[in-house]
Amino acid sequence: MTILDYLRIWLAGARYSIVRTLMFRFDFIMWSLVELFWMTVNVLLVAVIYEHTDSIAGWTRYEMLLLVGSSMLVQRFIMGFVWSNLFEMARNIRSGHFDFFLAQPGNPLVMVSTRKVDLDGLANAVVASAIVIYAARQLGLSPSIVEVALYCLMLLCGFLINYAILLITVSLTFWLGSAQGIEGSYFTLMEFSRLPRQAFKGVSSIVFVWILPAVVVSNVPANTLIHGFHALDSLWLLAVTIAWMGLAVWVFNRGLRRYASASS
Amino acid sequence: MSVFAKYRHAFLIGLQSNIVYRWGFAVRALFSLFHLAFVFILWGAAYSGQTTIGGFDLNQTLTYFIAILLMQFFIGAFNEDYQISEDIRNGLINQFLLKPINYYLYRLSIFGAARLVSGALALLPILVALPYLKDHLVLPDGAWRIALGMPAMVMAALIQFTIAYIFGLLTFWFLEIQSFIILSLAIETILGGQMFPLDLLPAWFFRLSQWLPYYYQMYFPTAIFTGRLDQAQALSGLCIQAFWVVALLGLAQLLWTRGLRRHTAVGG
Repeated sequence: MTILDYLRIWLAGARYSIVRTLMFRFDFIMWSLVELFWMTVNVLLVAVIYEHTDSIAGWTRYEMLLLVGSSMLVQRFIMGFVWSNLFEMARNIRSGHFDFFLAQPGNPLVMVSTRKVDLDGLANAVVASAIVIYAARQLGLSPSIVEVALYCLMLLCGFLINYAILLITVSLTFWLGSAQGIEGSYFTLMEFSRLPRQAFKGVSSIVFVWILPAVVVSNVPANTLIHGFHALDSLWLLAVTIAWMGLAVWVFNRGLRRYASASS
Repeated sequence: MSVFAKYRHAFLIGLQSNIVYRWGFAVRALFSLFHLAFVFILWGAAYSGQTTIGGFDLNQTLTYFIAILLMQFFIGAFNEDYQISEDIRNGLINQFLLKPINYYLYRLSIFGAARLVSGALALLPILVALPYLKDHLVLPDGAWRIALGMPAMVMAALIQFTIAYIFGLLTFWFLEIQSFIILSLAIETILGGQMFPLDLLPAWFFRLSQWLPYYYQMYFPTAIFTGRLDQAQALSGLCIQAFWVVALLGLAQLLWTRGLRRHTAVGG
């Protein structure tokens, strides 16, 4: 199958998801509100802390808002494009319905990751973008088109890193059988992406900045908008993306070998 | 069988079934340590260059978050709303309609058992981290804090459970209640003081929050124990908290009777 074939299948899946969303409009509104409220929780946290201080690890109020907005933007895309697909993957492995994806004439990882699109997650990507734009305007930033393009590419890297972490956690189901709630560990880890890199000291810096890719996903794109392109940081982000995607695909393929259909 | 005995049995069965899920609670408690790390890093950075925020120093604020974390495991509702919803959807409540057992008290007994297990398991990672945490723990003196904090904690648990119960009962009217629950959780996270101590809110917002039930879920007992409220504030808060317990129990009873009118029991 060519990339064009995969794109056609994804478009068909997206069309089906949109039709389904329009059928359950109340659900769509409720889930959009849910995501909006959770975003508000994080923005309010920033607002409340900055009522009492001028800086967090050297970041001003609107720099911090831009960082949080960037982190949210990546997570909205994860929620919109892959979250429910990977969430269902864990259940399908346990129930044996994962056979359905293996029987399809395509790469199982692509087929399982691109089955559905969640419009409520994507709807709130607009809100997250608005937060980033608002923060950038308050900071008086006027990035060039190239810088905006670089920022978007870096968010794409952030998206792939988030996807890799989620895929690794969900793939553990191949070994554990039941990994109910394990996807929660993804949210726990990605909570750290809303913090500035300079806030991490000592052991926390080694763990969350260098070993786990929690900080790099948001800090490098946000820094690019605020301070301009930094080659070394960009290379670091790229290397982390390649490494974690490689690891995730390897873990998934190893897990696939253990899959024994309904009795697994 | 006496009234007390049947709910004691429900409690003991709840205890047994929750011990079965001990690893789930333990893993959740372990992940909560990561959240605590997030809190320490964020607030540590916010305090750099200043000694107090909102009149409290860094250690007082960190103590508040450790106490909130323990509260979540000792009195927080986990998935009780979902369990009640499943009972209604699957018709399992039919058996309670035919027996001399109160469904609210039955569920409350199981909730009590579950929190005993999850609370005990949450203490383990805290104890492991204690050598590091003890330098940050600042607990104020005053026996009155225990005397007023304990009833506040019991009533907070009742409010937590009753709100979860009310959301579960919405299944009588709605097929899917998950979105209502998560929406309420987001509001509770802010107005219950889980993201930041509520006294850091602008004064008008803080005053408004004191009239809402969310304030009395986590923040109120935690604020009594960690010295964020004085005796007079604690006493007046207990009165408002008692009002919310009664009001929520009344609402739960109303929804139960109205919901049962809509309920259709099919099959044996």
